[in-house]
Amino acid sequence: MSTAHVLLGLLAGGPLHGYELKRSHDQRLPLAKPVAFGQVYATLGRLQRDGLVTTAGQGQDGGPERTSFAITDAGRARLDGWLAEIEPPAPHVTSTLFAKVAVAVLVDGAERARDYLIAQRTAHMDRLRELTSVKTDPASTLGDVIAADFAILHLDADLRWVTNTLERVADLHREVHP
Amino acid sequence: MTILRARGVVKSYGPTPALRGVTVDVAEGEILAVTGPSGCGKSTLLHCLAGILRPDAGEVSYGEHRLDTWSERMRARLRRTEFGVLFQFGQLVAELTAAENVALPLLLAGTGRREARTAAVGWLDRLGVAELADTRPGEMSGGQQQRCAAARALVTEPRVLFADEPTGALDSRTSEQLLGELVRVVRDQRTTVLLVTHDVQVAAYADREVALRDGAVDASGLGLTAVSGKHVR
Amino acid sequence: MKPTTLLRLALAGSRTDGIRVALTAFSALLATLAILAALTVIAIPEIGNRVNDHYVNPLLDEHGLRGGTAFTLVLLCIPILALAGQCARLGAPARDRRLAGFRLAGATPGQATLVAVAETGVAALLGVAAGLGAYFAARPLLDRPDARGLRPLPTDVLPEPWQIAAVAVALPLLAALTAAIMLRRVVVGPLGVVRRARRDRAPRPWPGALIVLGLAGFAGVVPLARSYEARAQEPPFWLVTLLGAGGAIAATIGVILGTGWISYRMGGLLNRLSHRPAALLAARRLTTDPWQGARTFAALLACVIVGAGAAEMRGYFRILRDLEARAAARGGYEPQRNSFYLSSMNLVDVAIVVAVVIAAAGLIVAVGEGIASRRRTYAALVASGVSRGVLARSILLQALVPIVPSVVLALFVGMRLVGPLTGDEVFNYGESAPFVHPWDTIGAYGALAVGAVLVTVTIGLLFLRGSTAVEELRTG
Repeated sequence: MSTAHVLLGLLAGGPLHGYELKRSHDQRLPLAKPVAFGQVYATLGRLQRDGLVTTAGQGQDGGPERTSFAITDAGRARLDGWLAEIEPPAPHVTSTLFAKVAVAVLVDGAERARDYLIAQRTAHMDRLRELTSVKTDPASTLGDVIAADFAILHLDADLRWVTNTLERVADLHREVHP
Repeated sequence: MTILRARGVVKSYGPTPALRGVTVDVAEGEILAVTGPSGCGKSTLLHCLAGILRPDAGEVSYGEHRLDTWSERMRARLRRTEFGVLFQFGQLVAELTAAENVALPLLLAGTGRREARTAAVGWLDRLGVAELADTRPGEMSGGQQQRCAAARALVTEPRVLFADEPTGALDSRTSEQLLGELVRVVRDQRTTVLLVTHDVQVAAYADREVALRDGAVDASGLGLTAVSGKHVR
Repeated sequence: MKPTTLLRLALAGSRTDGIRVALTAFSALLATLAILAALTVIAIPEIGNRVNDHYVNPLLDEHGLRGGTAFTLVLLCIPILALAGQCARLGAPARDRRLAGFRLAGATPGQATLVAVAETGVAALLGVAAGLGAYFAARPLLDRPDARGLRPLPTDVLPEPWQIAAVAVALPLLAALTAAIMLRRVVVGPLGVVRRARRDRAPRPWPGALIVLGLAGFAGVVPLARSYEARAQEPPFWLVTLLGAGGAIAATIGVILGTGWISYRMGGLLNRLSHRPAALLAARRLTTDPWQGARTFAALLACVIVGAGAAEMRGYFRILRDLEARAAARGGYEPQRNSFYLSSMNLVDVAIVVAVVIAAAGLIVAVGEGIASRRRTYAALVASGVSRGVLARSILLQALVPIVPSVVLALFVGMRLVGPLTGDEVFNYGESAPFVHPWDTIGAYGALAVGAVLVTVTIGLLFLRGSTAVEELRTG
């Protein structure tokens, strides 16, 4: 996910200050990693350099915190392009997870991989429960629910992979130690 | 406090073993998910714990009662008064309206028609389908049918709700709505829930998970997921 | 459970249940009429020695014959009850699902049975009420004395009021009891209805022993009577009843149960001989549920046995008449124009044809029900490209393959039953002639039975189109 495109999207609703942008980002994407101030300004700088945003006015006390940014036509076109572009359907199972299992089998045998997967599954299930309780909490906003859904569905995919792999590792274990 | 307990429960269908000695404790007020692949015996375990099936060997206790020694008549009465059941589909009586279906357990227990109907419509309302009171199951969507079935399972205010793949025939969005409502209601009522599912997303509504595999509690540790303790008491 | 709740649940059924209730009521109506008719015949008062001179027909007028007439009327109840039994199975899958639904909602096994029994009881009560109504309405209409004051029917007498009351109470109770017994094998569990496996093993030819036993018992009546006659005594009534009625009933049950074995064997044979899809479907259905034929054809086979026996008796009476005619010709006197026994046989034949028609009605119900209960499978087969013709042929084969040998068996048993009565040589008026089997009449009964099956199954096939609509595959 590109922070630049998200910021462009947030600006599409109207000019915002850098601080408002950060707050808006964290609010709209509650489960994503919170974006750092520095990253917001660095990204805005790059967008301004490429002519995708422009400064829309200064606050009374000046300074970068009070500078408003607005999306340009070029920025709008870029945003539209990004929105229209289909993401490559890459496996979401984080490559780290996969890599760890592969390495664990290689280095320490099936038992190690199994232990790792079980621990990973427990962690996933716990996280899944947390996210589900966000969803069932009447205090949650629709944004929270949508974000929780996003995470749940991806965790579900991961969990299926973990469970299947667990089965296969167990089979492998039986094969290795009859 | 343990409300339901299975000790070394064995159950076979003809020569096919479904459960090979399962031991499970269900704590009062918890939502316990029983998970596992198809054919692992999870539904059979639910049927045994609910007193629908009698195990071939082992003990099933509800509080201090040994259900495995009870007659079908006594178990049927217990199911009517203390337990509620919610299955994947097809448990509503096609010939009765939603309100009559929900009122059925009360009617069978001898409650008057009017009183039973009032209670039934109240529960349909709690599950958000009050307007379907006079509709027959055949004229409802799958999700609506399951809401009625849930209302029927809860109308007697049971201490334990047995839910076997309650959303198995529903799409994910409808499923999520039903589970959300159900969890909200059972938390209010402090109902203990045994939730059988193969779906981790459904299992995530539970407080705890017991995984079965080939008719036994999965010893890999996969089933021993810790209690997250998140649920409101 | 309050009585109103029981009534509501008992009458909760859909359209098929409505048909079942109507047919149950209808068979209760027929049974009421048959029993009331029998009671009326019994109620005819005894005047003088033997003849009342009240009625046109000697079957009603002669004291010695009335018992038999009443008994025949009561016997008519058998196909009627068989029809009621078929009706009880109609729509059974839907009712079973409903009962399972009740059980899931917390009904005890007793409550579930009670609901089903209440339905049958209420239906029978309605039927009995209608039957009583029809009986009393028909009496004045049929009361047509002729010029000599002879009535065609005993419309001038009534059974005792307590007898009528007993019929009104007993028939619904009997129907409810039958329903309860029929549900005994059916365990209505909350997870659905489980029919306790009848027999895991294939049917064995043991009913054959029952047939032999029944035939031997019945055959024992004639020598028994002769031996008592030789000592100038009457044989004890119970012994004659046991050997006669018991033997006939045992042989009939033997034939009906034997149909299970025949179905199973014929299924196996069909499977070996033909590999066409229709034959395969029929053969497999026959071997998996060989008792279906026995259930479906029970009443018809009973009719065929009685018919074959009656045909033999008719043949016997005809030879008697011929011998009488021969004797008369030799003695130079006029023979009686019409043998009384032969005209009585006409009445028996009418009764048998009525019974066959009732049994055929039961068959239509059974075939329709069989198709309806398997409509999902049939719809799935049609959806996957199996033509309806193949299905229709398989259903026809399934009915005809076991019925043909069963009818032959029933004809044989019916003939053997009366064999000892006719003997091989017929004597009358000092003349004698060898007994000749009336093959034409017997063949006609066989053809009537097989024809009835063919016609009813063909009518039943009309349900096939509706039942195989792909909409039947819709879930939920």
